[in-house]
Amino acid sequence: MVSAFGSTCSSDYQIRIIDSFAYLGFKGDIDLKNPEVTFGVLEDYGLDSVPPLEPFMIYFGRLIASGNRDLIQTFNLKKRKYIGNTSMDAELSLIMANQALAVPGKLIYDPFVGTGSFLFTCAQFGSFTMGSDIDGRQIRGQTDRSVKSNVEQYHLQGKVLDTLVFDICHHPWRDNLWFDAIVTDPPYGVRAGAKTLGRKNPTKRPLTIDGTHEGKDYYPPTKPYEMSEVLSDLLEFAARFLVLGGRLVYWLPTLVDEYSSSDLPEHSSMRLVSNSEQNFGQWSRRLVTMEKFKDNIIGERTNIHNVRGVDNLSSVYKKNDVNSNEAETTNTKEKKKPGHYLFREKYFSSKSDKKQIWTRNKDQNRDDDTDNTT
Amino acid sequence: MRLVTHNMLQCHVKGCNSNNFPLQLSDVEIEIQETDFNPKFLRNMLSKLEWNALVKTALEINITTLPNVLPNDLDEEFLKMLHRVLLETHIKQGQMICPNCNHTYPIKDGIPNMLLSETET
Ligand SMILES: [Zn+2]
Repeated sequence: MVSAFGSTCSSDYQIRIIDSFAYLGFKGDIDLKNPEVTFGVLEDYGLDSVPPLEPFMIYFGRLIASGNRDLIQTFNLKKRKYIGNTSMDAELSLIMANQALAVPGKLIYDPFVGTGSFLFTCAQFGSFTMGSDIDGRQIRGQTDRSVKSNVEQYHLQGKVLDTLVFDICHHPWRDNLWFDAIVTDPPYGVRAGAKTLGRKNPTKRPLTIDGTHEGKDYYPPTKPYEMSEVLSDLLEFAARFLVLGGRLVYWLPTLVDEYSSSDLPEHSSMRLVSNSEQNFGQWSRRLVTMEKFKDNIIGERTNIHNVRGVDNLSSVYKKNDVNSNEAETTNTKEKKKPGHYLFREKYFSSKSDKKQIWTRNKDQNRDDDTDNTT
Repeated sequence: MRLVTHNMLQCHVKGCNSNNFPLQLSDVEIEIQETDFNPKFLRNMLSKLEWNALVKTALEINITTLPNVLPNDLDEEFLKMLHRVLLETHIKQGQMICPNCNHTYPIKDGIPNMLLSETET
């Protein structure tokens, strides 16, 4: 069996490789469909888009076990019945489940569940999953396309326990170490509607609610949910509700020029396990994995700010048209704002090329799901 | 919504900090959906759930199989009964009412809406 990853190889080439092992003198019949023993040849051409003529290294061995790469096909967004513009591509969702150590019997939670991507991949590995979102419309979808229909599509009804509608800033969880992991892609405004309950301008008179929040179509007034606030809330929630040894796995977008590793938010109960970059040119997003290694102390806050590189960042704010409200918070000159601070404003105020990079890369990811020839 | 989830929730209206759990079920429509039995998960959750609240809630929807006191010996027969109550019993429609402030949280198509209005947060 000859297969290729990241490229294709012709059937002529495949047969030539197979024939090149004729000298081994195996006597058994060749059965490519249901072989008893499979030998593999691995030619490593490196990662360059223009590969060298000869491989760097050739490996040969007997297949003893396969990975789970076929799950990338199973969870391919192109085949998923219900997706939104926030759905995470299949491979990354699976990687996140691995980072979260999703195994049978655990309980894993996504506080920004959207259309449910992580509920499915974590449940696929046997964990029980729950999700919540401030926007119930994303969970409900349309009649036959919803988080529920995806759960049915993947036959995970026994593992995806529930989805609930609420704002993680005002959540109804009883105090307990409920979760073995929290896996999420927080809404930083790069995605649809980064919002939290409340009004952007609190001096305005509140709307009359007349009890309709109990109806299904009620969507509460919202205000922007600043990224630093999202991160504070997320880490504090994780420190409080994760079991000891439980993991928090989340995405953090950063501007490449301004990022430094000290920008990662910190909490006294959480330690960093890994920090992996997916680069999109001027900006990137980082898959951050943290582990709760100490009991939470009530009142312990997330530490986001650090003091280096002030000048570098303040010039960026001057160039951007941030409104007075936000300018106020960025005027704190003593403190460096991290590379993700006011990311939404920078992201949307910059020229559309960044957005195109994002879209294109996202599409590429999706294409990769189907183009792996096996 | 499954009963295991219900046991994790409390009223979170501003200032409602005592007697705000368990939320009382009202006008509910129940559906049983069979799923795979996983004793490991049940044991894991049992150590965190409030047993008295679970018994009380189960009685509200006429489930009388739960003993008043959690037995020491969690044999398979007991865990299978618990599996039915915690994971296979779904509340499809209805309401959850706070015993303290009477706030009503609706459940529609199995999805509880725990959102509060501006004045309640
Ligand atoms: Zn209440």
